[in-house]
Amino acid sequence: MATQASRTAGRLMLSPAVILLLLWMIVPLGMTIYFSFLRFNLLMPGTEAFTGFENYSYFFTDPAFWPALVNTLVLVTGVLAITVGGGIALAVLLDQPMWGQGLVRVLVIAPFFVMPSVSALVWKNMLMNPVNGLFAALARGLGLPPIDFFADIPLASIIVIVAWQWLPFATLILFTAMQSLDREQMEAAEMDGAGPLWRFVHLTLPHLTRAMTVVVLIQTIFLLSVFAEILVTTNGGPGTASTTLTFLVYMQSMLQFDVGLGSAGGIVAVLLANIVAIFLMRMIGKNLEA
Amino acid sequence: MGEIVLSQVRKSFGGTSVIQGIDLRIEDGEFVVFVGPSGCGKSTLLRLIAGLEDTTSGTIAIDGHDATSLPPAKRGLAMVFQSYALYPHMSVRKNIAFPLRMAGISAEEQERKVQAAAKVLNLAPYLDRKPSQLSGGQRQRVAIGRAIVREPSAFLFDEPLSNLDAALRVSMRQEISELHQSLKTTMIYVTHDQVEAMTMADKIVVLNAGRIEQVGSPLELYKTPANLFVASFIGSPKMNLVEGPEAAKHGAHTLGVRPEHIDIVAEGPWSGTVGICEHLGSDTFLKVHVEGLGALTVRAGGEVDLVHGAPIRLAPQPDKLHRFDGAGEALAKALA
Ligand SMILES: Nc1ncnc2c1ncn2[C@@H]1O[C@H](COP(=O)(O)OP(=O)(O)O)[C@@H](O)[C@H]1O
Ligand SMILES: [Mg+2]
Repeated sequence: MATQASRTAGRLMLSPAVILLLLWMIVPLGMTIYFSFLRFNLLMPGTEAFTGFENYSYFFTDPAFWPALVNTLVLVTGVLAITVGGGIALAVLLDQPMWGQGLVRVLVIAPFFVMPSVSALVWKNMLMNPVNGLFAALARGLGLPPIDFFADIPLASIIVIVAWQWLPFATLILFTAMQSLDREQMEAAEMDGAGPLWRFVHLTLPHLTRAMTVVVLIQTIFLLSVFAEILVTTNGGPGTASTTLTFLVYMQSMLQFDVGLGSAGGIVAVLLANIVAIFLMRMIGKNLEA
Repeated sequence: MGEIVLSQVRKSFGGTSVIQGIDLRIEDGEFVVFVGPSGCGKSTLLRLIAGLEDTTSGTIAIDGHDATSLPPAKRGLAMVFQSYALYPHMSVRKNIAFPLRMAGISAEEQERKVQAAAKVLNLAPYLDRKPSQLSGGQRQRVAIGRAIVREPSAFLFDEPLSNLDAALRVSMRQEISELHQSLKTTMIYVTHDQVEAMTMADKIVVLNAGRIEQVGSPLELYKTPANLFVASFIGSPKMNLVEGPEAAKHGAHTLGVRPEHIDIVAEGPWSGTVGICEHLGSDTFLKVHVEGLGALTVRAGGEVDLVHGAPIRLAPQPDKLHRFDGAGEALAKALA
């Protein structure tokens, strides 16, 4: 890539892929923006008309909007906290020499391969069900009243399910980082008289910051759009207790057939994702610099 | 104080025995070098002394007290690792002060000791840098600084210079020797480089496959190697080893003669032709193909200039011949 000619050739070769990717992104985004300014209800075909920011004002004044925004942020932070914390704990455990290490590692990774809807169904029907669920049986065994998870603590239950799915990802990334930790550093600290807790806090954790940053950034992108787990378990309810922005958009465009309103919600969700991303990059992005 | 006594120390990893019964006495203030080929167990032995590995059997006594089951921090030893093992998130100052901080020493006292160490090691301008902003030699100095502030009863070095370039190695080697002269603290130094061993040690311990082959001062090992292994390991270039009738003539299975103990003389008993001729300026190393003996390395004066294929006659210095029996053990010196 040194000469003028090779640079030009490089750009030419790249351009089809870049243009295709751009179209792939720009066209749906452009259409969504366009729809968001239209009155466009599938139940009333032929009445499409330009309405300015009317859809947006409907979306913002929707009584479900603020709860959905808060729920989204709670869901994301909750899952991040559990997966990063649990991931570090599991990474530390997996790093210990033990019998059957290979098998245990595969088992830890396994939840990641289960489809979100399937795992949500399993949690809903086999574990958290207040009548037939395992947790209810355990509670009864202990003489406690079973918890009706999706009625009483719907958002927390969803956080647990989603965290269970993302824990393997976090564990995998953190465990890989853990293995690159210099043993001699640990031994030097041991000889210098640092206890295990001190070594963990001052050597292991700083070593893991970059991996933690990667986990937080990547998971945030996916967690902002969690959908199947909510649809399968609570359907956003009771009331708006487990409605997130993604789910609100779905309810408006698919259940109320209001494409214009749904599009406006979609754009709001895109903006929110960008705000969160900028915020995160400002806060922890510097960890990624070498 | 820093007297370390190993008795019948053994170490196995799983089924493989890596250290096979080591008895060794290291006197207070001595500079001891463990030398041996890569994989012979030098690091493992050092780590056993440090307490980073548990002995399988045997005892380690430090200053007369049994330290076999003491944790590393309680042994009063400081170690300098091959990878330096600096804490990457801490400044040089914090790295050096770290053991003091762990020992609960006051901040002023820490700073005083760090400054003193930085002065000795020429690190004063770098105290606020992170390890990643230092060169290899500077990192090594920081690692040494971290070891000295503890005022340990002995220093342990595991191939501390092997990541440095050749010129820096020589100067760091001298710095460590000087440090030993001024501190007079026991030092145990592991290396696979016999030049480092010869130049630095008061006492060299030659290890091979988890066993001690010989212990002695550099010149003892050079002059009277106990066996073929030590003979060929110590000295550069390597000792020439000759078997067959020529060795039998001297009543040995193997005859050893160092390159510097072969003279080029017109009426020498060995005749051959020059293979290659390496000029170092001060010396010239000749590879000579001698009839009936094979290739011999000969060290000659710097002004010797011979071309490939030149005929040459050689004479070994008779009082410098080493004789070994069939098992590789040294026999008494050949009588002149
Ligand atoms: N933790 C360990 N587990 C199993 N084998 C080991 C371990 N540490 C060292 N060894 C083995 O012990 C032998 C000696 O290793 P080491 O002491 O590092 O050699 P050196 O430092 O002399 O090069 C090697 O064969 C090595 O494979
Ligand atoms: Mg080693």
